[in-house]
Amino acid sequence: MVVESESTKDELVIDVQDLVTYYGTRKILDQVNLQVLAGEIMVIMGGSGSGKSTLLRHMLALNKPAAGAIRLFGKDPNKLSAPQLHAIRQRMGVSFQNGALFNSLNVEENVAFPLREHTRLDENTIRIMARMKLEVVNLAGFEKLMPSQLSGGMVKRAALARAIVMDPSLLFFDEPSAGLDPVVSADLDELILRLRDAMKVTIVVVTHELDSAFRIADRILVLDKGKVLILGTVDEVKSSDNKRVQNLLNRKSEDVIVNPDEYLQRLTDDLAGL
Amino acid sequence: MNTRKFIERIGEKTIDAIEEVGYHFSLLVESFYWLLVGPFVKQPVRLHYIFSEMMKIGVLAIPVVILLSFSNGIMMAIQGIVTLQEFNAESQVVPGIAYSVTREFGVLITAIVVAGRSGSAIAARIGSMQMSQEVDALRVMGIEPVRHLVAPIIFSMLVMMPILTIMADSAALIGGGLYTGFVLKLSLGTFIDRCFDVLVVYDVMQGLYKSLIFGVLIALVACSNGFSVSGGAEGLGKATTRSVVMSIAMIVMVDMIFTYFLSR
Amino acid sequence: MTYLIEEKNDYLVVYLEGEVDLSCSPEARRVILDCLQKQRHLLVDLSGVSYIDSSGVASLVEGYQVSRSKNLNFALVGVSDNALNVLKLARLDQVFPIYTSIETLLQGGS
Repeated sequence: MVVESESTKDELVIDVQDLVTYYGTRKILDQVNLQVLAGEIMVIMGGSGSGKSTLLRHMLALNKPAAGAIRLFGKDPNKLSAPQLHAIRQRMGVSFQNGALFNSLNVEENVAFPLREHTRLDENTIRIMARMKLEVVNLAGFEKLMPSQLSGGMVKRAALARAIVMDPSLLFFDEPSAGLDPVVSADLDELILRLRDAMKVTIVVVTHELDSAFRIADRILVLDKGKVLILGTVDEVKSSDNKRVQNLLNRKSEDVIVNPDEYLQRLTDDLAGL
Repeated sequence: MNTRKFIERIGEKTIDAIEEVGYHFSLLVESFYWLLVGPFVKQPVRLHYIFSEMMKIGVLAIPVVILLSFSNGIMMAIQGIVTLQEFNAESQVVPGIAYSVTREFGVLITAIVVAGRSGSAIAARIGSMQMSQEVDALRVMGIEPVRHLVAPIIFSMLVMMPILTIMADSAALIGGGLYTGFVLKLSLGTFIDRCFDVLVVYDVMQGLYKSLIFGVLIALVACSNGFSVSGGAEGLGKATTRSVVMSIAMIVMVDMIFTYFLSR
Repeated sequence: MTYLIEEKNDYLVVYLEGEVDLSCSPEARRVILDCLQKQRHLLVDLSGVSYIDSSGVASLVEGYQVSRSKNLNFALVGVSDNALNVLKLARLDQVFPIYTSIETLLQGGS
């Protein structure tokens, strides 16, 4: 962290308290607590099915919790009126897993889209801003391409440009390095760090890539089966003696322990003549 | 056990259906909210989206609507004359065609064409946006998907369906008139004159009212199927098909109910 | 945001003050373009700017391009570290003529 932001260091940007949520009757998140401070990079990790994507959707106010509460910039998004929620959302930028670029718009129009919708800036200003952001993500010269003409890495960078076009103070990444080769993925990590330093933005990254997580994180939250396994700095997570954390770090799969009776029943359930 | 499961299934399906109708209704209410109130809360429904929808839903459908209605007019003339010949009442074919086209078949053909062309396209477009998280992206940008995607479609349907219906009515009457004229040695002018003698404004309006309702139905069914897409490409195909089948089925049934009440 | 325009030698100096964000960058843009419309060399002093966002920077970019097409001088002075970070992110520090103070510019320094 940079020294000058010391005064804002303790400011809570996201406050998740005892979050519980279900999908049908299945519990996805169980008593999750998480505080994200201004200016930090929080990485949320976990395997598939760990609930990390669901947690992200809650932080984006796309899902409503069954129990517990969430606060963004000190306000509960589920208790806000639509205009108040929109105001909060304009301070947030999101880079979705597969970019979620609008397929009917070219790259520049995609990046300029939030500005055209939310501001009354001059058209020249809007286009310069969009191109500046494309320069930031190293996509200069690709303004007129359609999303379908971009490679995976370019889509992610265009999505990032769109996410930062309103100069958000809170930025979310869903799986920034998924599906990218290691070099492109490292570039993107570098970019995330540069953004944080230049724009003083708070960043939440959801990923299952260890290398990427260790490169960029200030703190890491590890989710497992909907519960918080560990929350701490990179070093704390690395030196944790929790077996499940170590399994995750060493990419070892879990030994599955079965109940013999139940297992037999599962295999032969509903069969004829049994 | 099986009976119980069966009853459970019926119960579940009923709840699903009620939920779906409720969802349609909320889409409709929200769309009107944005169309009317949006401009005052800095969330207007964009004109250029409305125009582009009008183009896709209405203007591009004109050739098919006219072709089908024209053919339908001819078919009605053929069948009408054959049937009426039995009673030596061929000349009564004119009011027969005039009534059934304006009250019924003009709007029905229009609705079926629009459901097939635009209903499927809308469901596919919104469905693929849902799948690629574009709908979520809109939401987190603070842009209501209903305002952005659904409201322009509803508005365009309300404008374009009556226009298409009038075109369909005219094409069918001309088709019927040409054939009748050919067989009964009647000029097209006379045919049209006699149509206007029997038709009153109410007959034409009956078709137009229905066109508004059918347009809204197609839009709601297509949009809700699009938003509820899940499960990859297969899900998208299912939603598209479902939206066409469902909207055509609903159109025909709603039409029947309407006809029952309006034609007595 | 407030602003003040002063004449110094051949230059018009625009002092911007406060936050240049989405709500006031259109005004900053208008002020800058108006000055250039008068065919005057332009200096934009950002030392009083506590925060400048991309829309503010975009207005500066447009101003600079207009000045070049009119063969006028354009420079930034008093760029704070925060503002410089924003410029650097989009590599605009390599584009704008940036001077530490008005005096150094007028004496021909850097």
